[in-house]
Amino acid sequence: MNTNLKISNVTKIYPGCVANDNVSLELNSGKIYALLGENGAGKSTLVKILSGVVIPDEGKIYLNKNILKLNSPSDAKKNDIGMVFQHFNLFETLSVFENLIIDSDEQRENLKEKIDTIMKKYNFSVDLDVPVLNLSAGQKQKVEIIRCLIRSPKVLIMDEPTSVLTEQETSELFLSLKKFSEEGILIIYITHKLKEVMQLCDEVAVMRRGKLVSVSQINNENIESLANKMVGQDLKTIKKKKENTSSEQLIKITNLNFTSEDPFETNLVDINFSLNRGECLGIAGISGNGQSELFQVLSGEIISNKNSIEFNKNFIGDLNPQERREYLMAFSPEDRLEQAAIPQMAIFENVALNNFKSSNFFNNGLINKSKIKEHSKKIISEFNVNTDNIDLKSQFLSGGNLQKLIIGRELITSPDLLICFNPTWGLDVGAINYIHETLIKINEQNKSIILISTDTDELLKLSDKISVIHRGKLSKIMNAEDVTSEKLGILMGGGN
Amino acid sequence: MIKIVKRDQPSKAIFFFTPVLAIFLTLIAGGIIFYILGFKPFEALKFFFIVPIADKYGFSELLLKATPLCLIAIGLSFCFKSNNWNIGAEGQLTFGAIVSGGVALLFYDQEGFYILPIVILAGAIGGMIYASIPAILKTYFNTNEILVSLMLVYVSKLILDYLVVGPWSNPEGFNFPETRQFSDSARLPLLFEGLRIHAGIFLALAAVVISWFVFYKTYLGFQMKVSGFSLKTAKYAGYKGKKMIILVFLISGACAGLAGVGEITGPIGQLHREVSPDYGFTAIIVAFLGRLHPVGIIFASLVVAITYLGAETAQIFMQIPKYTGQVFQGMILFFLLASDYLLFFKFKFIDSKK
Repeated sequence: MNTNLKISNVTKIYPGCVANDNVSLELNSGKIYALLGENGAGKSTLVKILSGVVIPDEGKIYLNKNILKLNSPSDAKKNDIGMVFQHFNLFETLSVFENLIIDSDEQRENLKEKIDTIMKKYNFSVDLDVPVLNLSAGQKQKVEIIRCLIRSPKVLIMDEPTSVLTEQETSELFLSLKKFSEEGILIIYITHKLKEVMQLCDEVAVMRRGKLVSVSQINNENIESLANKMVGQDLKTIKKKKENTSSEQLIKITNLNFTSEDPFETNLVDINFSLNRGECLGIAGISGNGQSELFQVLSGEIISNKNSIEFNKNFIGDLNPQERREYLMAFSPEDRLEQAAIPQMAIFENVALNNFKSSNFFNNGLINKSKIKEHSKKIISEFNVNTDNIDLKSQFLSGGNLQKLIIGRELITSPDLLICFNPTWGLDVGAINYIHETLIKINEQNKSIILISTDTDELLKLSDKISVIHRGKLSKIMNAEDVTSEKLGILMGGGN
Repeated sequence: MIKIVKRDQPSKAIFFFTPVLAIFLTLIAGGIIFYILGFKPFEALKFFFIVPIADKYGFSELLLKATPLCLIAIGLSFCFKSNNWNIGAEGQLTFGAIVSGGVALLFYDQEGFYILPIVILAGAIGGMIYASIPAILKTYFNTNEILVSLMLVYVSKLILDYLVVGPWSNPEGFNFPETRQFSDSARLPLLFEGLRIHAGIFLALAAVVISWFVFYKTYLGFQMKVSGFSLKTAKYAGYKGKKMIILVFLISGACAGLAGVGEITGPIGQLHREVSPDYGFTAIIVAFLGRLHPVGIIFASLVVAITYLGAETAQIFMQIPKYTGQVFQGMILFFLLASDYLLFFKFKFIDSKK
């Protein structure tokens, strides 16, 4: 049976931005559609409209020529539209089976049978009786997918599904998606990873600034053409210049351990590595394998044994972040809005979070506002933050601009070492490019970087050395040239 | 057609306009309530809000009531600005009163300039000790400070009750639940002959100035603000977030304790069962009505103090229970929360022909 989904002249206006500007698109089952666009391009709004979360200001949705009234997520479910969100909506402490039946009004026995059939058919292996918190990200995603499949959907929408998966899990997911498609489910795949679009999809719709800019067959496109459509300008490709890096050691970590009291945190076991000036050490891994703990131990948010961290010939393991900054370390945490910056405070106040004795932001316990503001203006102009109002609350900056501000704040003091954690997470291509260029530049200035990231492409692009963290243990350090993404994937999954 | 749209960034003007709007709406609603009760609305409102402060004595009473409200609210603003929900100021006030009252009683038959400072200090320390309980439980045992601080209010009131009935009751007091009168050296000096307004008002004004300075001018204030928004950020910046939490509770407790001192060494002059007509709770409304801003709090404490006086006048002249005062306080908070909607949204008039 064929499914035809027609989006007709959909417009959604938010204050200050047109999220969807007269979008029309017709989709047919049997194909996998990619919906591609930068952050803020309007793809998630469009998807939220399809799943009933957002009601459009204008325009209509037709499924098989019937007009759909999508006023709530349950309307979407009733009309056989299934959606797997980027962030899982699962109850961690309930079992897989309980999660699957929780929003269904069918009989338990019937459901059990149904679930078994689905699992057999698509070769899913998930233990139904374990609590969800024990599952890997890939398995959690399978649970979400099964939850959609129980309702035998006509349309399945996947929102950036691979951001938390390993390479192996990703290829498994792709196989399943292709199978669904063959069975007549219309698949809409949202992403900004171009490689995946090329690998998986049949047609690609590109959005930019709320408008649908192109719909085309994948055969007529390549990665560069798609990137250009997405950004709307030709992108420079950046490559790291391989200079002869110095052999002067900057930081050395010896037998660093961290045992957490919190069962949801990961313990770090015997971390050992060293890094020279001008080098970038990439640390790969699937999120939740100890990256956050490693970052905190390196930044000093978690204090460890004094001798476990040697930086520039000083032992600094027992110092807090502010004290470590004095030794010329800088930190860019993963969570921009809850840790690296405070959205409710003005830009210049956020700049004052990185405070040195020599920066003179605070003299004798008093705030030196003019000094902070002067410094903030410098950061904004040097790091291309797109605003001229440093009194603006930082919540009004886009993700990319906020990240530029944070990186700028950390780098303007020219530290010897920058430790960053997923610095381009959730940013659009333009901002990612800028951040990458900046990181390469500071490497060239003989400064070092520790880059903890879940984005393998980013790591391969920027690192000189790469290690993989798995369950709190670091793999041996490899030269980046000898590493492929397949190899990383195996290590990330715990293989050898 | 009127459409509601989200504001980009709340303007300063609207930030201070909504409290005024809330007071205005409270007056209207109050008028309606009086009308339903069978009074002439305007006359009743006049008795409530204008008659009580029409003379010198009334004005002194206004300042007398506003003083503890202002002092406590200033302390609370430290907590609230840093997202620590201390709602037990009433308990900290009571405990401050107990400690300072105890010290004052030690000196009941002595005179000396040194007595008053000791008594005042004791009150501040008492409030701090009492506020440190929810603070320490929150930072080291992850308890909820709202519950702990609230429940401690009742504990402190029971302690006070026990003391004034039992060990501290006046031996010559015919078993009334009250202590001896404090000596004159333990009393805050009156500012004017025949009026009850006392030197405690200077404590409140000093608190206003100091809090403004700390919050807007110092590194300490900045760290408090950051820790309040996000402990994770505070940790990342290298601040001692837990210490900040304890510090704001201590400041808040000290202010409430001082308010307690002001009551017992000011108008009351001894300890008895009711040292405070719920100033500690009402000050929460004052703090928010004043937008947690020192100057705003001054105005808010005056406005809310009127509801105490008005309630008394209304009881005397109109035979309305004095609890009407609490109704008005409740309405102010209610309308303030409602009109805060305007901070984030605005009405837009749209041509309906389009």
